[in-house]
This record gives sequence, structure tokens and C-alpha cells, in this order.
Amino acid sequence: MAFKRKETVIEAIDLNTITPEDAESRIIAGVKKYATNEPNWSKADANTPYLGHIIGMGIESANLADITMSIERQFLTKKTRRVPIEGTNDFRLEDGELGKLRILDGQDATAATPGLSIKMLMDIGHMPKNETYLSKVVGFAYISSIGEGYRLNESIKKLISRIERLTGNEKTEAVQNLKAMLAQAKTYLTDISDSKRFAESKQKTFLSDKAAHDNLAQELVLLQDKIKGLSTSNDHERVSALNAEQAELKTRLKISSDKLRVSSEIASCAARRSPIEEAKVLEITSIISSTMAQAEKIS
Amino acid sequence: MLSEEGVKDIRRQRFLSLFVDWFVYLFTLLLIRYVFKYKIKNLKEFRREAQAALKNHQGALIWAANHLTMVDSFLIFWATTPWTSAFKDSRIPWSTPEIENYYYIGSWIKKHFIRSLMYLCRCIPISRNKLGKEGQTERQEVFDKCAWVLKEGGSVFVFPEATRARNGWFDRHHPKDFLGRLALEAPKVQFFCVYLRGESQFYSTTRPCTGETFRAYFKILPGRLDGETTPRQISTRLFNVLGDLQDRWFQEAAALKNCSGNDLIDLKASHTLEHFEEENEENTEWILRHLTDKEAAYWRTQPLEKRFLIFWKFFAAKEAASKALERSGISIPIGAFHSFETDLFINKITHRPTGAKLSIAFTDEDQDKLHCVAVFRGGAIEDDGIPGDILWSIDSLPPGENPGEYARERALYFIAESSDDIPSPASLAISVQNGLPVIYRSGQALDISLSLSHSGRYVAYSFMIS
Repeated sequence: MAFKRKETVIEAIDLNTITPEDAESRIIAGVKKYATNEPNWSKADANTPYLGHIIGMGIESANLADITMSIERQFLTKKTRRVPIEGTNDFRLEDGELGKLRILDGQDATAATPGLSIKMLMDIGHMPKNETYLSKVVGFAYISSIGEGYRLNESIKKLISRIERLTGNEKTEAVQNLKAMLAQAKTYLTDISDSKRFAESKQKTFLSDKAAHDNLAQELVLLQDKIKGLSTSNDHERVSALNAEQAELKTRLKISSDKLRVSSEIASCAARRSPIEEAKVLEITSIISSTMAQAEKIS
Repeated sequence: MLSEEGVKDIRRQRFLSLFVDWFVYLFTLLLIRYVFKYKIKNLKEFRREAQAALKNHQGALIWAANHLTMVDSFLIFWATTPWTSAFKDSRIPWSTPEIENYYYIGSWIKKHFIRSLMYLCRCIPISRNKLGKEGQTERQEVFDKCAWVLKEGGSVFVFPEATRARNGWFDRHHPKDFLGRLALEAPKVQFFCVYLRGESQFYSTTRPCTGETFRAYFKILPGRLDGETTPRQISTRLFNVLGDLQDRWFQEAAALKNCSGNDLIDLKASHTLEHFEEENEENTEWILRHLTDKEAAYWRTQPLEKRFLIFWKFFAAKEAASKALERSGISIPIGAFHSFETDLFINKITHRPTGAKLSIAFTDEDQDKLHCVAVFRGGAIEDDGIPGDILWSIDSLPPGENPGEYARERALYFIAESSDDIPSPASLAISVQNGLPVIYRSGQALDISLSLSHSGRYVAYSFMIS
């Protein structure tokens, strides 16, 4: 089966007939068009973020949907049978005829690298789980935090080079700023180096999302109570307005569940640091420590 | 003027409520302390100061507070009032809950239980949404009852905004006249302004999260000052005081006060035009992946030549809003475009999982570019007669420059240029925290909500000055 896209014809391939490494190569090739950091794209691997310029491919957020659609165009899956989800307009995909891959809304929320895109395809069941491959993939929680580490490191380096050109009051103020950034870097290193502490910070986000979800669920219960209370009245206009509100609230609750699923996944991944994640943490820790040592000579 | 029948009604309600005050207070206390496990920081000290201030004023009192949840009036009464002061008739406030929110809940038994409880808690239900003369008459009757209570030296509890703040921000710029009118009716009245908020309350909810810790601040001020002749003058003063209490709350908060974001679209960039060059299934699918059902329905009704701009307006609003919310502590998953619903008529955007509402403005819109700013809290976007708290600028990107770095450099110049206190951009430094840019000055992180964006030939940056 071939999909036409402008002048390029992409031959879609069954995800169950290729290795995760092959799928990864196809995904990287597929996003070339959107990568604005060519050097990073050309040496990209499973753990190269799509977004961001320092270590990422430089794809802009306006092209996020393009990444997903590019993956969909390249692969075929057996999960094509749409099964409606009761009480909503949504559906889930179950085994059926081989056909075009479809990534549903929210399923790609943590697919920030080619490796995480493959993990997403495995998690949803489009391709068989391959633990050997997954052991080489850095989890979303670490990808985003490590990315922040590189950005922080760049900021410190830039300030150091600026301070070297300054004099007088300007230099004094810049050095004070540098000290503040070093304190921030120190906190960053403490947080990321201690896996327990790192997991706790992600757990906090999960709990905050859970509280938001519970609040929304409370609102739905209250609304249903209001509908019940008004059902015996003749205020049909109000009842129908509340019913519409209920439908909207159910949709919001579904979106909230998706969000909660993402933060839950991030929290649980953060709690289990794999060897590849440990290596990446050590790498950024060493880079920042070396920049800090350089900065401390000035400050 | 309250009718004789109205006076009789309210006297009867007051008399009956006196019998159950102790029960209501005990019930509230048990619920707050032991079921929901709420805590108030420095509760004893806050109560002592509030009671001491109230002792100096024995006359009529209007309680005025910010509004975030459906149980705020109970929380504020508990926060300010110890057992020893809880049963003083003139100090037990009358409230005006929205009839649609409280009076039609659940089965016949539940509905009547809640109604009875509200009656005994001195509630005077109001219908703020009922249109026409009937609605006006009902609202006037509620107003007359409140005025009567105040003239008798009693207390009334009113939320000046008349609704829960969907962005969790008390908006001092849009005063409502109800309290000003009440103060004119009872000239000796005083306002008891309270700002109470939980450390993790980002937006309005049904009730605060279990285990929430609150901080509260209060101020007592005269109902009417010499020279004030209109409700708007009084309400403006009152709203400003509550706004100041809110600023004080944020001074001691871990959360940032200023939360805004921006987004820029180069309307002639290849990636912007790509999906609009021809109308086909794939391009339509790409467009719809970014829009909610309502947005898509609106987009489809637009003439073809307008769809391109309308789509990018939706997109820019969502991007700007996600940056503003991230700064407030609300996490936004990557590419969560369906989580936001934009209303281009009223320039608001709603984050659907939380219900948080943000104001948006398209500050620059021409053939070449579109720039959007979104404000969640901390200030306002410039509006008719209201000065804005957000500054922004757009630059062309010189060839060969890295857009992200150029935006950061230009932002430092812009911030320095916009302030007399900052001698040069060299006094500032830019870093990143929780994925968002942060500005340092003299070794301190500034709460100015810097936001950066770049697209094609342009870069843009915005920050808040409130």
C-alpha cells in the first residue's frame, strides 16, 4: 500500500514485519523535512529529541502533528477496527484487517524522541514489545529534564563569556546573576543525581494532575445532581442546557484522564532509572559540573 | 425598599438560624478540620488580629472576599471567627448564593435538606442569570433584603466578582456595582475585605483539594468616603484593596504571580503555508488535529480565504496559553492542542482539563505575521480604558542568526529599555527553569513571565510589568 505525499511516494510497511531499529530509521528519515538542526538530525538516534536546538533536531512545535502523521504514513498495523467507547464519541482500535496506522489523540504525548515513538507503538500494541530495544530508550521524564540541563548549561556558558567582556558595575551585577545561576545549577544537579528526589518531583506533578482530575469528577457529580434535581421541574430549557454542559464536562474529563495517564507514566518511569538513563544523567552532570568549575573561577 | 412581608420573612429566618448556629459551626469545623483536613497558616494570629480589628467596629459589616470555590464563605468564616465570637447575631453574615448552584441539587430529600440548611445558614438565594423584568425584580428584592440587614446593624457576605474566578485571579480592573450600591444604602457600614487562597489553588474548583493549606489577609475599610457619590467609585476602591491583598498573598507564595505567554506565526513561512496550499484529505486532517469540535465547526463556516488566518489564530492562542499555564504550575503535555478551546469572539481560551480560563489578544496581525499574547494571572491585557500589564515586541531575524538565541538577546535589551531602573541589558541574565525562560537581576530571579517565540523570519518576546 502506498501513500502519495507531494512528489514523494512512501511505501508503508507492516510494523509487525520489521525490527524496532528499522522502524526507528524510517521515523528519523521521515522527519528530516521538519528538522531545522541538520547536524543533530543527521546523527540522530533513538534518544535525540525532536524539539530543541542544542541536542534536539530543531523541529518546531507547529510541526508536532507532522511528526505523528509522518509516522502514520510509513507504517501499517492490524489495529484498525474501531470500537466505540460507551458514552462518548470516541473509539479505540482493536485487531482487524491490515491497514493504515492511526495514532489517536493524546497517544503521542510522550513521544518526544524516535525511541519514545517506537515505545508508544509498542505500548499501544501496534508492534510487539521488544525489551532489548526499550532498554536503550531514555524515558520521557529524563529526556525533558536532561534537555533542560543542556539549556541551563548553555545559559551559564553564555553569561561567562559575556562577563569576560564587562567591567565596573555591569560586571558586578553580571557576577551576582552568575552566582544565582550556579545555585540553580547546583539544585538541578542535586535533583537529577538523586533518583529518589527526581521521582518525588515527578510524583508531585502527578498528584497535582490527579487533584485537578478529581475536581473535575466532583464537578460532574454535582452537575448530574443538578440535572436530577431539575428533572421533575418544567424548566426544559435549563435541563437541556445542563445536559449539554454534562456532555462537555465528560469530554473534558476524558482529556483530563489522558493528561493524568501521561503524568502517571512519567512519575512511574522516573522512579525506575535504567542504565542508559543513568549514563545520560552522568553525561549532563559532568558537563554542568565542568561549566560550574569554570564559572566559579570568575565568581 | 423591602416590603413588610419581606421584613417578616427575614426576621423569621434570622430567629430560626440562631437556634442552629452552634450546629452549623460544629458541622463546618468537623468537615474542614477532620474530613477535608484544611489548614490555615498562622490561624491563631490571623483570627486574633481579625477579631481585634472587628471589635473596633460594632456597626454593620459587609464581608467581601475573593471567590475560588463553592465553600469559600464557610472557609472564610471559620478562618476569621473562633468559637467565642461565632454566635454573635450581628456578626453572623447573610450570604447571597446563586440559586442555580445550590437549590436544585439531587433527589427531593437531598434538595430539601440543602435548601433547609442554606435557609438556616442565612442564605438569600439570588438568580444572576434570569433575564427580563422577573429576574430584575428578584435581584432587587435580594438587594433590599441585604440593605435591610445592614441598616439593622447586621452583616452581609458578598463576593464582589459575583462569580468564581475561572483563572483564579481577582480582577481589580472590572469592578461590579452591587457592593457599592449596598454601601450607599447603609452609609455607616464597613467593608471587611478578606483574601484567602490555598497554596495549590491555581484556578476555581468545586472545593479546595483535601489537605490544602491556606493563607489569608484582611483589611477593614469604610463603606463610603467623603466625596464618593456613585456605586462605581466605592466598588473601584474596594476592588483595589482586594487586589492589593492578592498582591500581598503572592509576595509570600511559592507560585509565581505573573503567568503569561506569547506565540508568533510567520504567515509566509513554508511550514505555515504547507497545509493550506491545496485542499485535500490529509491537509484537512492535519488542521483538525489541532482544533476542538467547536473550533472546527467555526473554522468550517468561514470563507476559504479566511480559514488560513483563523486556523493560525487558534494555534497561536493555544501555544501562548500553554506557556502561560506552564508558568503557573499546570503541566501541559506536548502537542495537547485539543486541551485548549479558543473563543475568538470574546478573546478567551479555556484549558479543558482544569477549566482555567485565560485572556488572549492578537497584538500584531498583518499579511506577514500574527502575534498572540495570553495572560492567566498577574495582570491584564490592554483593553478599552484599562492599561495593560504586558509588553511585547517583534523583530525581524537577521540572516544567519539562531532564532532562539537572537530572541533571548533581544528580550534582554527590550526589558532593559522598558525600565528606568535597569541601566543596561548587561545587568540581566537569562536562564531556563522548568522549561521556561527566567530573568535574573542582581542575583534575583524576576517574576516578569518572559516568553519567547520565533517563526520563520521573525522573533517575538513579551513580559509582564505588574
